[in-house]
Amino acid sequence: MGNLFFNRFLTQASFSVNRSAVNWELFKKGMNEMKKLFVFVLTALLVAGCSTAPKTDPTEGGTATPSASAAINVYTRDATSGTREAFEKAGDFAEQLTSSAIEVSSNGDMATKVGADVNGIGYVSLSTDFAANGVKPLNFEGVAPSEATVLDGTYGMQRPFAFTTRAAGDYESAEKEQLIAAFLDFLQNSTEGMLVVEKAGGVVDKSQGKAWAELAANHPIVNEDNSAITIATCGSTSVEKTLKAALEAFQPLAGNFQFTMNQTGSGDGYKRVLGSEKDGANRADIGFASRAFKSGEEDTSSAMASGQYCIDAVVTIVNEANTAVANLTQAQVHDIFTGTVTSWDQIQ
Amino acid sequence: MKTNRMPRVISDRFLQLLTVLSAALAVVVLTSLFVYIFSHGLSLINADLLRSDYWSLSKIVALDETRNQPGSYPRPENLGAEVAWSEKWGVGFVDHLSHEKKQLVLIEAVAENSPLASAVDTSSGANQGKPVAMSAGLQVEKIDFTDASGTADFTGMLASARAAEVAETLDQSAAKLTSMFIKTPGGGIRGSLVSTAYLILVSLLIALPIGIASAVYLSEMAKKNKVNAAIRTGIETLTGVPSIVYGLMGVSVLFPITAAMGAKTTNILLGALTMAIILLPTIIRSTEEALRVVPQGLRDASLSLGASQTQTIFKITLPCAMPGILSGILLSIGRVVGESAALIYTMGTFINDQPGLLKQGTSLAVHIWSVMSGEQPNFELACAISIIILIFVLILNLTVKLLSRRLQKSFR
Repeated sequence: MGNLFFNRFLTQASFSVNRSAVNWELFKKGMNEMKKLFVFVLTALLVAGCSTAPKTDPTEGGTATPSASAAINVYTRDATSGTREAFEKAGDFAEQLTSSAIEVSSNGDMATKVGADVNGIGYVSLSTDFAANGVKPLNFEGVAPSEATVLDGTYGMQRPFAFTTRAAGDYESAEKEQLIAAFLDFLQNSTEGMLVVEKAGGVVDKSQGKAWAELAANHPIVNEDNSAITIATCGSTSVEKTLKAALEAFQPLAGNFQFTMNQTGSGDGYKRVLGSEKDGANRADIGFASRAFKSGEEDTSSAMASGQYCIDAVVTIVNEANTAVANLTQAQVHDIFTGTVTSWDQIQ
Repeated sequence: MKTNRMPRVISDRFLQLLTVLSAALAVVVLTSLFVYIFSHGLSLINADLLRSDYWSLSKIVALDETRNQPGSYPRPENLGAEVAWSEKWGVGFVDHLSHEKKQLVLIEAVAENSPLASAVDTSSGANQGKPVAMSAGLQVEKIDFTDASGTADFTGMLASARAAEVAETLDQSAAKLTSMFIKTPGGGIRGSLVSTAYLILVSLLIALPIGIASAVYLSEMAKKNKVNAAIRTGIETLTGVPSIVYGLMGVSVLFPITAAMGAKTTNILLGALTMAIILLPTIIRSTEEALRVVPQGLRDASLSLGASQTQTIFKITLPCAMPGILSGILLSIGRVVGESAALIYTMGTFINDQPGLLKQGTSLAVHIWSVMSGEQPNFELACAISIIILIFVLILNLTVKLLSRRLQKSFR
């Protein structure tokens, strides 16, 4: 194996040495030895690189049946992921993730990887198709994850997507204010709005939805040509997918208005519509947060409208062949993902 | 003698080995970076990426009442096997996985006399009632229809249907299509290319005259005293200030200027003003260097022929220094293209398809930031943009090399 590697890179490496050696007068003597060294070093580096690289992309799924004493393979999302943020908060282990965790780049990737690894454990959003990926959702604190348990609040691994607007009358034009009210009505109450939000990964209670045609009667503004109006949103980056889907779906329903989304983080959601930066360069019309607005310091009572438009739920998943675990408490999630518990039989 | 030489040989060899090792490491790191970027991004690079908008254009269309009924439209023979054809409505759909890893259903073909060919835009505005071409590549978000008994239902991507299911549902259930929600593909970088061009032009327009003039003053006219030396040191120090500091300064100090010109939010002009300040030290430095290379003999000859100092500077020294100044300009352009931190503060992070000087927009580098910061980082698009930036910077660097070679030759 080593020999094979060596031979493969020998030709390429010595080629590059020859090229660079032309200008390198200093090494004219003893160049042959240097060449060999260079080749050796290059090979060693490449081999080292190859042997550490699979850490992020494991392909070994192990055997079909996991043994109770087998080591747990922890999977995690990349650091910018909102799902990861929500999960770390729910498991109370922010910044303490075990260093042996394998990083995957997307929700679908996570499901595929855990579905291929009998000893894998990871987390995805509730909208994932579990069966198709060969993974099993785990209960959290004894509650099975489902739309119903998320909506009634018994399933704990969830967070609201909340919004707040500028104060009534504090808009560039009355038309814009009416249009924003119409959009929020569409987002919160219409079946069409709920459908696009749900498709983009949010959990909504569709039984409460009304047809947009019915709601639109309260918003005559949507029948105007609104292409000159630009709605500006800000705040959480996690809401981006659902919000973008809703805005794009609402555009043709409301006279093709324009929008700008500057999603930079939940902290800016309140600040840029009602707080200290509301008249600054980064002012926006609707602010979003992937958590409830903090009572006291983020007082939304002066807003024209505020509330939540959907819930984001995170589910811990294991391979469907895994029979060692069906339910996890917050403490167990904490222990597994911080590396305190490393095999299935240690889960108490 | 021989015993004395051994340690020297060893230490020499060790130092040599160290340099070779470092060079090898640099080569490996840089090569793997290039391999990563090109292997991920190359598949996305095409004319469509450069031409199309980033945001999808959504449309809700309705069909002509008189033609809104199922008929019989045979499948065209030139369609591939992957196309799901709806015989009754004369439209073919295909499945497509977008580079954002999203499962899409796209329209592939529409029969010439199909009811769908009569689609008109229903959104209020200038285009209301105008026909919409059902061209290939449009995303089928949602098709609302009523069945034979008049019950409303829908299919399409919002119903999690794949191409085959959409065609099947239409054929089996739809008696009338009430409306269709379609989207253009989006995902292009045209807006960011335009924003970057704006940014380069405006920032150079501001920074060049000021920078060159101050360099001329500092190196040709200013007396060699402590104040001028301090100014020069100050300018050199400014080159080392992190750009994010300039960004903060831009949004707090310069924003009122653009606000007075009518800007409501952060905007491209604000970014360009900030970039101009960032570029000033670079331009002053490179112009000074270029002026310094101009032989003193040229100036003396000009002065001895009776030209004034100003005439000498603008007619003799500056033209001779032109290649050096040009390479400074090219370096500045490279700086603008590569800048991101200062621009996030001053231009916003919204990818704008219709950028304007007083509107928000993203440069190519900020576009990368934007697509990577969401819930679903888009590595492919980020790498594709990186390739474009790399090629652009490579061309700039080659031009700089060419110019500086010419500069050196002309005074040899």
